[in-house]
Amino acid sequence: MFNSCTDIACNNIFAWLNQGPLTLTIILHTIIVLPMFFIYFQEKKRLTEDSKQS
Amino acid sequence: MDDKKTSVWTSIRFWRRSAAWVTGMAVVLLMILTFDTMKQVRMGTDEELKHGIKRRVPSPTVINYHISYRYDENRGVEVPVIGKKELLFGKEYSPKEAQELLHLGKLTFQAKDCIDCHTILGNGSYYAPDLTKAWLDPKWNDGTMISMTDSKTKEEAMVKFLMNPKDYRTHERMMPNLGITKKEAMALVAFLKHTSAIDTNGFPRNFSQASRRLEGGTNAR
Repeated sequence: MFNSCTDIACNNIFAWLNQGPLTLTIILHTIIVLPMFFIYFQEKKRLTEDSKQS
Repeated sequence: MDDKKTSVWTSIRFWRRSAAWVTGMAVVLLMILTFDTMKQVRMGTDEELKHGIKRRVPSPTVINYHISYRYDENRGVEVPVIGKKELLFGKEYSPKEAQELLHLGKLTFQAKDCIDCHTILGNGSYYAPDLTKAWLDPKWNDGTMISMTDSKTKEEAMVKFLMNPKDYRTHERMMPNLGITKKEAMALVAFLKHTSAIDTNGFPRNFSQASRRLEGGTNAR
């Protein structure tokens, strides 16, 4: 699964993340999408608490 | 109505926060990628070249070396190989001279509007051959153009051709005479030799030796 970096310049994170098809895309999307679940549940909690108070 | 269901999907605050997060993250990523690209495409130095440190864009003095291509199994593309000394026009250029020659070549390339017909490094037109790896084009290496132009070396043949392309019929779409002087033609040859040494991640595919073996097929994997 993990191979040593074969790119011409390996001293940066993107060269390591971009070692296979779609790997960089998947990682970047994961970084962006995962916190959105956190935002969703945080907002849900807030709305539920608001509706209980009202 | 204590048990009223609350929907996050209709909450403006949720959408606003999500949009802010995605936009902010994209801005940060693009900024990091921009600086990373600037670092990656910085032109190498003569010292790096002498010590075999690979860079995507090698030093201008790469014109003093033999350039060939080798298929890299790990990367899945053909990569430029900078070999032994191979003087251009029988002269070894110093870093300053090489830089000046390449600069003149680039200016000539722009002034004569070569990309009106040709492509280089992904920019230009598809009317005439791609010039990104023109130095490695087999027609210059198999003796065809050398004998046609009555030259001794590849670079001499290229200079003669560039100065009077109409005299050498190579294709139905003949290149017009652009009034290129000998000095400009020499600079253009140096410019194209340097471009051929740029590691373009295998682009363009039609210069690949594998695709040549497959008689025009692509080298896509």
